[in-house]
Amino acid sequence: MAQEDNLIEQIVKRYDGDTGMLIPMMQDLQSECGYLPIEHLRYLGGRLKVPISRLYAVATFYSSFRLAPKGAHEVTLCMGTVCFLKGAPSISEAVCREFRVEPGGTTRDRLFTFQAVNCVGACAVAPVMIVDGKYYDGVTPASALEVLHGLAADKAAAEKEGEI
Amino acid sequence: MTVLGLRQLNSLADLERIRAELLSRRDPSTKSVHVCTGPGCAAKGSPKLYELFCEAAKQAGAEVQVQAKAVGCHGLCECGPIVLVQPGNIFYQRVEEPDVAEIFRETVLGGRVVKRLLYENPATGEKAETADKIPFYKLQKRIALAYNGLIDPTKITDYIAQGGYRGLGKVLSSMTSEEVISEVELAGLRGRGGGGFPTARKWRSCREADGSPKYVICNGDEGDPGAFMDRAIMEGNPHSIIEGMLIGAYAIGSEQGYIYVRNEYPLSVERLKEAIEQAKELGLLGENILGSSFFFDIRINRGGGAFVCGESTALMASLEGRPGEPRAKYVHTVESGFRGRPSNLNNVETWANVPHIINGGGQWFAGIGTEKSKGTKVFSLVGNVVNTGLVEVPMGITLRRMIDEIGGGIQDGKRFKAVQTGGPSGGCIPTEHLDTRVDFDELTKLGSMMGSGGMIVMDEDTCMVKVAKYFTNFLQKESCGKCTPCREGLSQMLYILDRITDGEGQVGDIERLEDLSEILEGTALCALGKTAANPVISTIRYFRDEYDAHILDRRCPAKECRGLFRYEIDPEACKACGICLKNCPADAITGEKKVPHVIDQKKCTLCGTCWEKCPFTAVLKV
Amino acid sequence: MYALRNMLGKMSLHRSVKGIRKGKPVPIVTIDGCKVRVKKDATVLDAAKKAGIWIPTLCYHPAISPDAVCRLCMVELDRGDWRQLITACNYPVRRDIVVYVSSEGAKQARRGVMELLLARAPESQELKALAERMGVKETRYPNVTESQRNCILCGLCVRICEEIIGQAAIGFAGRGVDRAVAAPFRQPSDDCIGCGACAAVCPVGTIKVRIHQDQQEVEISPFKSRSKLLVCEKCGAPIISTQVSERVLGKVETMSSEEFRQCIRLCPKCRKLQTAVRLQAATVYKKE
Repeated sequence: MAQEDNLIEQIVKRYDGDTGMLIPMMQDLQSECGYLPIEHLRYLGGRLKVPISRLYAVATFYSSFRLAPKGAHEVTLCMGTVCFLKGAPSISEAVCREFRVEPGGTTRDRLFTFQAVNCVGACAVAPVMIVDGKYYDGVTPASALEVLHGLAADKAAAEKEGEI
Repeated sequence: MTVLGLRQLNSLADLERIRAELLSRRDPSTKSVHVCTGPGCAAKGSPKLYELFCEAAKQAGAEVQVQAKAVGCHGLCECGPIVLVQPGNIFYQRVEEPDVAEIFRETVLGGRVVKRLLYENPATGEKAETADKIPFYKLQKRIALAYNGLIDPTKITDYIAQGGYRGLGKVLSSMTSEEVISEVELAGLRGRGGGGFPTARKWRSCREADGSPKYVICNGDEGDPGAFMDRAIMEGNPHSIIEGMLIGAYAIGSEQGYIYVRNEYPLSVERLKEAIEQAKELGLLGENILGSSFFFDIRINRGGGAFVCGESTALMASLEGRPGEPRAKYVHTVESGFRGRPSNLNNVETWANVPHIINGGGQWFAGIGTEKSKGTKVFSLVGNVVNTGLVEVPMGITLRRMIDEIGGGIQDGKRFKAVQTGGPSGGCIPTEHLDTRVDFDELTKLGSMMGSGGMIVMDEDTCMVKVAKYFTNFLQKESCGKCTPCREGLSQMLYILDRITDGEGQVGDIERLEDLSEILEGTALCALGKTAANPVISTIRYFRDEYDAHILDRRCPAKECRGLFRYEIDPEACKACGICLKNCPADAITGEKKVPHVIDQKKCTLCGTCWEKCPFTAVLKV
Repeated sequence: MYALRNMLGKMSLHRSVKGIRKGKPVPIVTIDGCKVRVKKDATVLDAAKKAGIWIPTLCYHPAISPDAVCRLCMVELDRGDWRQLITACNYPVRRDIVVYVSSEGAKQARRGVMELLLARAPESQELKALAERMGVKETRYPNVTESQRNCILCGLCVRICEEIIGQAAIGFAGRGVDRAVAAPFRQPSDDCIGCGACAAVCPVGTIKVRIHQDQQEVEISPFKSRSKLLVCEKCGAPIISTQVSERVLGKVETMSSEEFRQCIRLCPKCRKLQTAVRLQAATVYKKE
């Protein structure tokens, strides 16, 4: 087995080594690292005596898992039925066009990762966009772009501050 | 974290004593403000309101007894954020941060009503002071949502004071497992997750199955887009689920339960975790519950982001740390389910009903609803209705009453076109069937289903072909991909629907769609695949003319499908302001000052910019 | 002697008569009118085989647990006033049932599935041959999904590697139309031992074993995993992957690895030649 991996040991202990809790374990790993690094996964597989092919199957089956690093911000657009009917696709189009990103992908400058999800359960205030956990209700293509450009502005301001 | 210093409950008497104590501590003169922090209101910023009310309560000083509570979803999300003030049950809606001070000063301290924040009936102009005067709430009967809005979901003491865990106490002290199952059987409870399977029969089969240990599972993987009923229960009243599962586990003979919550509901996971911890502390979970020999524990597991995990065998695969792939159900999960052991899986809302059935009696429950569909159902009434939100009504209410009386009719004075029920496994129901009674069986006859309770209302500007395509696309993305008909069949259907909405439909496409739907229905492995063609088939059944228009005339009657309708400027409405001309990316608009502008159809790229930008709505979709 | 045999005979007859009256009933499957008895929990496919009735299958293999993913083996189960479509390979027989294989409903269901498969994997000769045997000459559907070299995702390769070989070197990745069979992280798998079982069970010719003579390696294509080969000391032809030979050694208790290596120095052809030479040179001892 590879050298001791403290992070994985911690995670396995948290769930008493129960292989049924593989998904929560991988979610904890992803929270910690921002994505699922291969070496950690290999160690986890060895530790739980689960073949690595199974971990890979799980990592690629569920939408929430990422095998590559993500952006600084997490932007989620709800594409549930109601949001869809109230114009979510045009918002998605606008974001993809403006920032040159695909749903599920990350912008080139790693500013944000853009995800489309199916229904976040706030249908009464559709369309809904979530940025880093903060909900924006009744979004339009224009307002969505404004919020996202704001992220870039924040980044520039923070960098400037860092310089001084 | 100790629960207000309460020690473990070692008997039913202990529980009743605590309850009495909590109730006696309640000062009737204490004023309280309940701020709804359910999904809809929270998205509009209600947690901040709660904070402000807490601040105000603190500042008011010790002589004035004011309590602020954050409560679960109340239902009328359209009018959120909702704030209730006791005493008096004053119902305030669309409350914003600047209103907090006024509410506190006028209503909480002064006992006066702030009229402008009351609900106003759009038809009559009447203001309603309390919820029961609001048409949205009048027809509702709340069982699963009974405590939402009354209790703080993060405090087990609130649940107990309201009457929680009384059902468990009754079961453990005076009922055998067979008696519990009989009571649920008398009630006629059927699964609320979509399947509608008789709950008592499932429990009995599981109890009689060979093998151990037996597992009790709660399906919290509410994936239907447009549905948030289970979320409201998990976040607004998590203990109702725990109590339900305890009672079910006792009846079945299980010692281990799991609650599987979808990944997209982190707050639900948090609330349930908290609730379980508090229940454990009081000895309502674990060993010797309430002094009996009953042992039960619950673990929470999260989904990873897959709609298919709402299917019972896929959920169990996920619980085992595998991809959520369904398997054949020739051997039922009550015989061989999670880890190959007898497993009883029920939906969140089903579990939430159980304590009430034990408390009120099976006969009481069976007195509500229709002959084959007893009790109430929580619906998520959303889309183009005036009053969007969660509604709990006795089964048997007609679609018309739901949409008109409770929903308040269609927004913006438009006409009703269809209501989509049952999520992606359901179908669209048109005007002529609005008087159908909503229950497990009636909607199925129309080619749809009640499903988990999603009710999406669509107005006249909705293209039904586009709706069919939306659901087909959704299912194709969520399909696990294991079996040929679902994976390939949905792709073939989507390919045809894409062609149709792109204006490239061919004669015979509808027949092709029908053939494919037969293959799916007959040969798919799981319910997702078997019902996947319902959205397409039901829209073909009731809106055939729209399909024909798309295919034969290359025209979208609802004017939604790009390229299948034109933009024209109404010369009478046009004020010649020139905004459209300036913004047209194809230079397709000509016109001068005081001359109505005209779109050159040959140059027009159908981008829709002129339609969006015209301040006089002079651009028409034709 | 006769009396004892008679008595024993009577006892066993008595027992078997008792068996019919008191033992578990053996279910009868009436399949296309033909009645066969099968053990409880045997499948409809087992019954069909016994009755000599052919049902097409793709993802079924007698050595592996059935998964019923291809949906090709659909047959109709008589439910009284209606007929239920079920998959023969995994439907457990627990009581007397009536099944239709050649009914219109069953044939139509199988045809529909095969047409979808042909649309997905248009270049597989094996698939076309199976379709022909079923009487499906062509598909009405266009190719709208991409398959890696005609893979129809039957999962036999994955299941044989996991259940029988025990290596789980390949698995499924992705979901829905993006579902594919792959080695973890799409890199050559460390767990592959080059046995070629996956290639042997692949019903559509997607997986192939490639011998790289010069490097003395065997490659499982398309997974790109390579294993070292044991080669014939005489002619250099490949014999078996070293890892597989080690696995086999692990199961043989009476040999050390050197002794074992001595046993596989020659390829079958060279060994035959060697034996022939030895036989020719052998002296035959006659009885004086």
